[in-house]
Amino acid sequence: MKINIDKLFQNKIKEFKVTTPYGVWPAVETKLKRRRMLRFFGVSFVSLMGFMFLFFQAEKIVTTDLQKNTTTKQLVKEDSANKFSIVPKVKTPEKVSSFVSDKSKEGQLKLISSPKNSSKLSSNFIIKESIREESFQKVITNTVVEKQLKKFDSPVNNLDSLKKIKKKDLKKKRKELVKKNDAIDSIKFEKGKRKRWNIIPVLGVSNSGRFSKNTTTLGSQRAVTYPEKYFDDNQSSGLISNILGFNIVFRATNRISIQTGIISKELRFITEGLFLTEFIPDVNPTNIVYNPGVEVRFTNTPEIGGAYSESTSLTQTIVYMEMPFELKYRMFGNLKFNTNFIGGFSFLYLNKNEIRAKSNLLSRSIGKADNILTTSLSVNLGLDIEYHLSKRFVFNSAFMFKKHYNTYLNYGNEAAPYTIGMHAGIGYKF
Amino acid sequence: MSAQAKIYSLFADKLFRVCLKYSKNYQDAEDTLQDSFLMIFKDIKKFKHKGSFEGWSKRVTVNVALQKFRDKSVLQFDAMEDSKFPEEDVFVDVDEKNISLDFLLSIIKELPPKYQVVFNLYVLDRYSHQEISELLKISTGTSKSNLSRARKILQEKINNSTKKSS
Repeated sequence: MKINIDKLFQNKIKEFKVTTPYGVWPAVETKLKRRRMLRFFGVSFVSLMGFMFLFFQAEKIVTTDLQKNTTTKQLVKEDSANKFSIVPKVKTPEKVSSFVSDKSKEGQLKLISSPKNSSKLSSNFIIKESIREESFQKVITNTVVEKQLKKFDSPVNNLDSLKKIKKKDLKKKRKELVKKNDAIDSIKFEKGKRKRWNIIPVLGVSNSGRFSKNTTTLGSQRAVTYPEKYFDDNQSSGLISNILGFNIVFRATNRISIQTGIISKELRFITEGLFLTEFIPDVNPTNIVYNPGVEVRFTNTPEIGGAYSESTSLTQTIVYMEMPFELKYRMFGNLKFNTNFIGGFSFLYLNKNEIRAKSNLLSRSIGKADNILTTSLSVNLGLDIEYHLSKRFVFNSAFMFKKHYNTYLNYGNEAAPYTIGMHAGIGYKF
Repeated sequence: MSAQAKIYSLFADKLFRVCLKYSKNYQDAEDTLQDSFLMIFKDIKKFKHKGSFEGWSKRVTVNVALQKFRDKSVLQFDAMEDSKFPEEDVFVDVDEKNISLDFLLSIIKELPPKYQVVFNLYVLDRYSHQEISELLKISTGTSKSNLSRARKILQEKINNSTKKSS
């Protein structure tokens, strides 16, 4: 019987049935996890770099332009016009020729530069106000104040002297500058500018909790044939967990620091008043994915189906890789010993998700929760103390509160955990 | 079960069939399936809900399989082959029931890669010559010519096999 060859193949291929080999999905899953992790750290790294870049740019504009283009001559001229008698005349570098003061325009700086450096110089106008303030600081820092401070009996005298010579438009800013001996700290900070980075190992403990009481999040809200809030009558409470990692701190100014790092953060919750049973229902009404080979189940009622049951508790362990982005603001103290307020947020990447059961019969890992999202966030608030032990070492201890968001699938943020923790470490300055 | 795991369990068998058709052996097909799912999950946002998801994922899988062919540089099409073999229906004199699927698949695998790919795409996966030409970056004439050559070779092999068995 003659048959079209295309038809023959098309008819026969319909019989083609295959089963996918077992090993493919675990391999795909592993690669997906790796990709997600890479993306997470990539985004975090880029954010950090972007943040650092913006910060450096802002600072670079002020400091480099001040050093290169703004000279003490301008200030002397400007200040002498305003009877700024304390600042002595300083030799003018050659570069300054591009800037002259034009008294005809009410003391404003006038630019008579070549087109080559006009763009750079134009930035001076944009940041004119900040230059005025910062240039004042620089002059003080590099030329005058160190000598003056020695002459004065106390910083307070210095402040009084400075107050007399302020220009009207700089009056407020100068007051802020000298307030609470900040001028002295600024000088010290400028001197020690080379060691602006600290790397601090973090070792500590934290306690986990939830604002919503009795929410285990192990019980499923998806269950249809079971009570809607399965396990929700069972007491769930946080356990003490450990924190381990390192922080990198960049001292941006004498008051503000930026902090990031990598921290392994553990959260543990215990759910009590459950029962272990050998009866395995058709529908799993919980958010527990049981490990292969676990042939028992956990319920909130003593007996299901008349099978034997035993009192047990479940301990849920969640470990996150945490990447914080925090700002530290020095509230009290000086550059040697100080107290900082910390605020910021953290990216969290789920690293471990385990549920262990403990009863008289067993104590083992039984599975994991299927409702925890891989990536989440926390908002961080805290206080820390810093004691600079030497030029190279600093002791740091922090008390932190962190509220998590976007932790669970199908649960609101009121069920999401918070942690209260404390950590300490001795950091290295570089 | 995550959404990705659900997609995998729904389509893995069907896509593995596609992979087997375009791969030299079982191991290669597994690798292609893995890469295909990674590509599907990566590009899932590009699925515009025009047509079925199954169809889209099959196309992704075919693309991944063809890329593997290209990587191994076994797909060398000769532009001079255009219209060497006119497109015509080819018939074989066999009883469909007496011929096994394994045999048919094995003779497809014996084809030179360029014929095998065009035959698979046109006959088994119902791509048009226009689509094949875009996919393989060849002319429709080359596609037709390769298909015609593939049919002739397969016809010969089937005829030989039936002669031997009779």
